[in-house]
Amino acid sequence: MSGNPPTSTIYPCGRIARRDFIHQIGGGFLGLALGGLWAEAGEIKEVALGPHHVAKAKSVIFLFMCGGVSHIDTFDPKDNKWAGKFIDAVGFGDNQAAMKRPVIPCLRTFTRHGKSGIPVSDWFPHVGGVIDEIAVVRSMWCHEGNHFPAVIETQTGHRGRAFDHPAFGSWVSYALGSANKNLPTFVNLGRPSSPIQLTGGYLGASAAATPFQAGETPIPHLHPPRGGSAAERERQMQVLQTMSQEFRERYAVNSDIQARAQAYELAARMQVSAPEVVDFSYEPDHVKALYGIDEKETEEFGKQLLLARRLAEKGVRFIQICHAGGGNGAWDSHGDMKTHGPLCRATDKPIAGLIRDLKQRGMLEETLVVWTSEFGRTPWSQNTTGRDHNPKGYSSWMAGGGIKGGVIHGGTDEVGYKAVDSPHYCSDLHATILHQLGLNHHKMEIQTLGRTMRLIEDGSPIRSILA
Amino acid sequence: MIRRNPYQTMIGILCVLYFISVGEAALPKPKKKTGTEVWWSLKPVVRPDVPDGPETNPIDRFIHAEIKNRGLKAVGAADRLSLLRRVHLDLIGIPPSPAEQEAFLADDPAEAYEKVVDRLLADEQHAVRYARHWLDVLRYADEDERMTAAPGIYLWRDWVINALHDDVPYDQFVQLQLTGRRAHERTQMSATGVRSRKEPRPGDQFALGFLARGTGENPQDLAISAVDTVSTAFMGMTVGCAKCHDHLMDPILQKDFYAMKALFDPLVLRKITLASAAELIASGKAMAEAEKKRAPLEKAVNDFAAHYRTKLYEERVLMLPPEAQAVIRKPEKQRSVEEQKIADDYFPILRIDGDKLTESMPEAARRRYQELQRQLSDQGGAQNGRGPVIPVFHTVEVDRLREQEKSYILTSGDPLRPELDREVKPGWPFAKEEPDFRDGRIEAFADWLTSPENPLFARVAVNRLWQWHFGEGLLKSASDFGEFGGLPSHPALLDWLAAEFVQGGFSMKQLHRLMVTSEAYQRASEAGETFAESQRIDPGNTTLWHFRLQRLAAEPVWDSMHAAAGGLDLKVGGPSFSPEGGGGNRRRTESGIEVNPGAKRRGAYLIRGYSPSREVTPDFLQAFDVDDGRAPCPVRPQTVTAPQALFLMNSPEVDKACGALASRLQKESAGDLPSAVELAYRMTLARPPSGTEKTNALTYLENDAARLKELSWLLFNLDEFIYVR
Repeated sequence: MSGNPPTSTIYPCGRIARRDFIHQIGGGFLGLALGGLWAEAGEIKEVALGPHHVAKAKSVIFLFMCGGVSHIDTFDPKDNKWAGKFIDAVGFGDNQAAMKRPVIPCLRTFTRHGKSGIPVSDWFPHVGGVIDEIAVVRSMWCHEGNHFPAVIETQTGHRGRAFDHPAFGSWVSYALGSANKNLPTFVNLGRPSSPIQLTGGYLGASAAATPFQAGETPIPHLHPPRGGSAAERERQMQVLQTMSQEFRERYAVNSDIQARAQAYELAARMQVSAPEVVDFSYEPDHVKALYGIDEKETEEFGKQLLLARRLAEKGVRFIQICHAGGGNGAWDSHGDMKTHGPLCRATDKPIAGLIRDLKQRGMLEETLVVWTSEFGRTPWSQNTTGRDHNPKGYSSWMAGGGIKGGVIHGGTDEVGYKAVDSPHYCSDLHATILHQLGLNHHKMEIQTLGRTMRLIEDGSPIRSILA
Repeated sequence: MIRRNPYQTMIGILCVLYFISVGEAALPKPKKKTGTEVWWSLKPVVRPDVPDGPETNPIDRFIHAEIKNRGLKAVGAADRLSLLRRVHLDLIGIPPSPAEQEAFLADDPAEAYEKVVDRLLADEQHAVRYARHWLDVLRYADEDERMTAAPGIYLWRDWVINALHDDVPYDQFVQLQLTGRRAHERTQMSATGVRSRKEPRPGDQFALGFLARGTGENPQDLAISAVDTVSTAFMGMTVGCAKCHDHLMDPILQKDFYAMKALFDPLVLRKITLASAAELIASGKAMAEAEKKRAPLEKAVNDFAAHYRTKLYEERVLMLPPEAQAVIRKPEKQRSVEEQKIADDYFPILRIDGDKLTESMPEAARRRYQELQRQLSDQGGAQNGRGPVIPVFHTVEVDRLREQEKSYILTSGDPLRPELDREVKPGWPFAKEEPDFRDGRIEAFADWLTSPENPLFARVAVNRLWQWHFGEGLLKSASDFGEFGGLPSHPALLDWLAAEFVQGGFSMKQLHRLMVTSEAYQRASEAGETFAESQRIDPGNTTLWHFRLQRLAAEPVWDSMHAAAGGLDLKVGGPSFSPEGGGGNRRRTESGIEVNPGAKRRGAYLIRGYSPSREVTPDFLQAFDVDDGRAPCPVRPQTVTAPQALFLMNSPEVDKACGALASRLQKESAGDLPSAVELAYRMTLARPPSGTEKTNALTYLENDAARLKELSWLLFNLDEFIYVR
């Protein structure tokens, strides 16, 4: 790879001199589009770092369930022989002392689905229906046992915030650049648990996620304020060109001034392209029904997933959907596992619909769908019918994008506490995704603060689930 | 398992990574230091001779020598109005008004510019602008994760602004923020020969917000943050690298980091209430009053719940293993230490939360209980029955007990892993001899740091001032004067400025004046065809053969817009404001942060900070490259992005400003469109329009004054509006 700025252009606060950075490798959002534009104009030799090898997937749809899904009640069934018994446990958050805790029973029933016969709980019947497309990894783990630290760890690959590490999607943005000059590379849908999930960190604002929302204004300030006329704005944009001309000619040698002209062009193009993407009026009813858009419970998440598919179609590389975010995340069922129920119902049909829709369009092969949380939940409770945080063992799954369908990989111990069979640190999930995108994580690095920063320090793709 | 906060964890992780995973390949190889070669920035400042030349300002002699040396041709002076706008935006961050433009042009050209410079430097708004520069370097934030000192932290900002306005000498400016005292005001002697600490001057305590800002979850965070910030901000040395290992490039050992940390180890946070005696007494009375009213209601609530609480508790206890039950049933005083540990472990299981309690009640009882609770909450006024919120500030002070404790090197910077066989004594790198701690540890360090003989102190400061005026420092890496930072573009000029700074008694205003009255500062930014050769030889403009075109930072963009719209609030001091709501966050109200979407206070007062769970720093600031203040930021990037364009095109702020500017134009031009156009250019770009520009604008207006709003939009969206030429 190339493209590391020389040390003299590194700002001591840990940011990269972004202009140089954009010049050399292109960036995200505007940077990216600019990179693209300049590349078209022959100004940038190499727009992106990758791919390093043949890619299996073009886009990633990353489904992040905020708050911690119970693997025990969804994709990692355990018999209830320990229920009611006290076992050795470790607290979380502020109390990490060794202690004893009562295992609570799992009230779900599991059905073996598809040809693979993978058991899925009655909370995810629709996902069960597409289980033959899915590889379930039952042996994920991370260090952090509280929400924010764990979100930071599983999303940036690093613990703590001293070095402003970028979110995972920003690395993809940075490495691959855009396939569509009218749209950002890394888009976020839904409310995240933490702003960290959107940050470009030391890769700069240009690699950061652009929050999109379904509705009239998918991007902040996308449209002129109410009352303005579109025709007038069009005219203004033209007059602006004329009025800027003299200044731009005088400072033609300054690349920032050229970049500004292009920033306005991109902003204008997005005013057209972004609403097009969120306009579902041409989607047939049966497709909307597939995502559950016709039912109240599944409507919101269904719309987000349909939008995700449309963004993937347009070449957006990394589409992150945060479900039930804000604060600790609604999946944080300490009080009663029953609170998982509505969340499962809200997401089950849309997720299965997304996979079916991608499949019927022939897009599944090149679209990697990933489902995960910051951690799982413990076999025990504190004093309730809910479960605590469990970073020592949890399930994630992937589908499409060159992943083997209908397989289970790894496992937790007999109560569902620790990953014991082929344990995978959260970085392995990142490495797998990068690998499918044609990226070698060893080649993705950046010099800042006089040291080499990487997404993955120690990890490798989960090879046994690759097709 | 050991409990760690993220900060310690990151230190641990990073350093582990540093050595294990990242390994040596990722790091530049430490240079074998050959003999006694001393890095340039550590050599004493020897005042260089000013080169010969016709220029009156010595800065220009140095600059010209280099320009001549490189065979370059420098461009001429900027036109007068460009220069006026440049110096206004630089020194106070607000563009000149049409009246100020008139007055400047009408004045004698031989003196007019220097008069403007003097006027601006004397303006309080200058202090607001330059305080913002310093606060970037000193990691000011209104909020940060577990930042106990957040309420009242703005008083530190107010202190910085006042200090700059009064031109407090730089050495005292630093002394005060480290010790809370001026160097000559530490001790006093009584008539009987007893030495004691002198009371600091009133108001100086707010300087210590600088150290209080560093508090976090762990008591050691304050000291760690102090070393990181003090060493980069005032010494230009990345001592923080030595947290885990000896510095790879610079002569800083791991023990130097911990020696510096030991200077700050005895400090603890102290909360000060900012109220008069009468207010405190009144507040205490209000609290007693509220408690008195609440007491019977509280009793009713508790009595009603007691039965259900006991029942629930009994059920929970019965769930436990028999040996645990036995422990729990013992009165607390009779439990052994081991038994108490068991009881504590089961505390979360036995704890009865409000929702579980109500769940256990039958419907009618629940309703009755909720009614009682409502009556109680209706009573209180303030939460938990306390009186009105008393404003506070957090300062730091030496804790005499902590001062007795030894300091150790920490494995990977983790406060929970002291290396007990590696004790460190307080000190600092480059200390020549055994420090004299009789006045206090930090005092001794501050004396060494701010002494005229310290080669780093003045060099680092003058380079920052240069960067803020010229857009780039003579040494680009303003906070790293070590080997990673490289060499300055004009070493002799840097040293001359440093020497001049010391000689002038560390007056920052004198130095500002010297810099902005140089020819180099007054050059045009634009280089035509005739300078193609200079452009070819020095395209990066390191020799300053022309002035550097700069994108305005976020705050001057904000201020320029509101100044043109005519509503910029020039009030100095007070808490930050948030233009984007804030969800009624209680912490914010306690911090005094004003949530006001319509506020037009100066951009320097926009809230900034970090929270793991929500955005604190407004979108506008983020789009224009402002950091959240978690780490010192010596240089802001100047990006050019589509979100910036969208903000200027479509945000409600800009829309409102367009409307306000349009009505201002209409009023002040009395409906005469050619003069409205003239004014519009003067208010936004601080210059009259050219002939073509005027024609274009009038054509666009179509003789319709209602279109002035659309014209205002065009002007706010010109490149020139957010660039300093």
